Amino acid sequence: MKAHVIEHNKLRPHHHAGRRVSARWLRYAIIIAALLATLAPVYWMITISLKSEVDQFSVPPRWFLFSPTIAHYSDAFVERSFGQYLLTSMIVAVSSTLCAMVLGTLCAYALARLSLPRRLSTRLSLWILSTRMFPPIVTALPLFLMMRDMRLLNTRASLIIVYTAFNLPFVVWMMRGFFQEIPRDLEEAARVDGDSRLGALVRVVLPLVAPGLAATAIFCLIISWNELLFALILTQTDAAMTLPVGIAGRVTQYEIKWGVMSAAGVVAMTPILLFALAVQRYLVRGLSLGAVKG
Amino acid sequence: MRYERALPYILAAPAVIVLAALSIYPLLYAVRVSFQTGVGQNARWTLQNFTRLAGDNFFLAALAHTLVYATVALTFEFLLGLGLALVLNSEIRGRSLFRATLLVPLMLPPVVVGVVWRLMLNPNFGAINGTLKSLGLPTESLTWTASPKLAFLSVIAVDVWQWTPFVFLVLLAGLQAIPQEPYEAARIDGSSAWQTFRHITLPLLKPAILIALLLRTMDLLRVFDQIFILTEGGPGFATETISLYIYRAAFRFGNFGYAVAMSFVLLIVTNIISLAYIRLLQRQEAT
Repeated sequence: MKAHVIEHNKLRPHHHAGRRVSARWLRYAIIIAALLATLAPVYWMITISLKSEVDQFSVPPRWFLFSPTIAHYSDAFVERSFGQYLLTSMIVAVSSTLCAMVLGTLCAYALARLSLPRRLSTRLSLWILSTRMFPPIVTALPLFLMMRDMRLLNTRASLIIVYTAFNLPFVVWMMRGFFQEIPRDLEEAARVDGDSRLGALVRVVLPLVAPGLAATAIFCLIISWNELLFALILTQTDAAMTLPVGIAGRVTQYEIKWGVMSAAGVVAMTPILLFALAVQRYLVRGLSLGAVKG
Repeated sequence: MRYERALPYILAAPAVIVLAALSIYPLLYAVRVSFQTGVGQNARWTLQNFTRLAGDNFFLAALAHTLVYATVALTFEFLLGLGLALVLNSEIRGRSLFRATLLVPLMLPPVVVGVVWRLMLNPNFGAINGTLKSLGLPTESLTWTASPKLAFLSVIAVDVWQWTPFVFLVLLAGLQAIPQEPYEAARIDGSSAWQTFRHITLPLLKPAILIALLLRTMDLLRVFDQIFILTEGGPGFATETISLYIYRAAFRFGNFGYAVAMSFVLLIVTNIISLAYIRLLQRQEAT
């Protein structure tokens, strides 16, 4: 890829040296502007979470110079219930990711490798994908009514069930792609050596798709962690609500505590950004449900 | 041998059952609710929920907001994303750092995006007006989320901020997969930069463009989270999108049958638009 690009640049027609230099500066100017526009708002929230109220509302705004305080963090996570929401978010995200990974990976293996009739396999894959295409509000309403009838409203279990189903199509499509990239010969070799189908899956195939498994699991964690609509509808008590619902509830109140809200926001975003860095290589693929193998 | 033949079904079954239980069953349930008024013993079969749609001006306004929101945001995200991808599609120092930075808005929980922009856009002590004021610029008319017109532009701008990186990443992946031979041929023919872009880059990039547009469109039509945090559909009804209106009908007014009927309209609109894209994609792949 690199070689291509370099060659491409060399092939550019004979510009004047000056024009080429200014084009390069323009390019860097665009990049820096884009970086600033991307990061400044997030940085601003971080500073608000660390500022005393006097500094928060000062004009002109203090971008750099202020005396930091962690009062808002202890206010949010010790005095108020954000610690509880954080715990719920973690439990729900991890449990639903585990369930979706186990069910989805097995299904993906069957679709990618085992001898299902071809048409059935395609049909099934497309149907699984289509369940993911529904606007969430469409499924959220009946799910609310079902959970109400089953007396599961305001429980973590309801969210774990819903997020498992929500992530399943994603896992199936991602893992199906990863399985299809493994050469069949490796599996056949293991089977000749006397492994059963499942033995070959566990001992040969899964280790080969391990990076894909990890990336897919991290995406599931991020999706569950970030989700608002279902959580908002299914959990309204302090004991069951997730971090996004907790933040949403505070934001829409009449009097907003900017510091508390920002502190909760920083805590909600930090693990996600670390995870996102870890799956950078698979990012485009994950975001496009495997459609773009970037 | 028999076990061997059953194995794929055994492996696929749990996932299929879970999905069916949580997608097909709720859908059937929803269909029933939408054709009824009243609950329990008092439930009556009726078409009322659907006939009411056509006369509900708020519903029509929310639908219009959603379509305008999606069209305007998509246009900006596409143009900016394409521009950035073209700029970055060459050896530049710090390119991987730039890519990593662009992940930030993409991965941010939508709730946090809402919080971030509430802090930026607050008319009195937000960072934007504060900075403008300290530069001596008048900010009285820049009330952002507090005035109907600016509020609509604000929520669109926030979407563009968050999702342009996605279009950029998909298009950059597409650009990097284009082979070099056509460019060499074009150079020998003496094509201008614009001709090369118009006749080589754009056609070869079309599949990636269509995928980016399809995925963005589906997301834009269902937008809920950021707007819920930023404006709650207000001021008044200015930024109320279809998902917000459905949410309100169901959970503020307890009108589930009507809310479900509206959600079917959203589903149909989304499906028609997505199918159009998919047709285009298939035609692209056939040629």
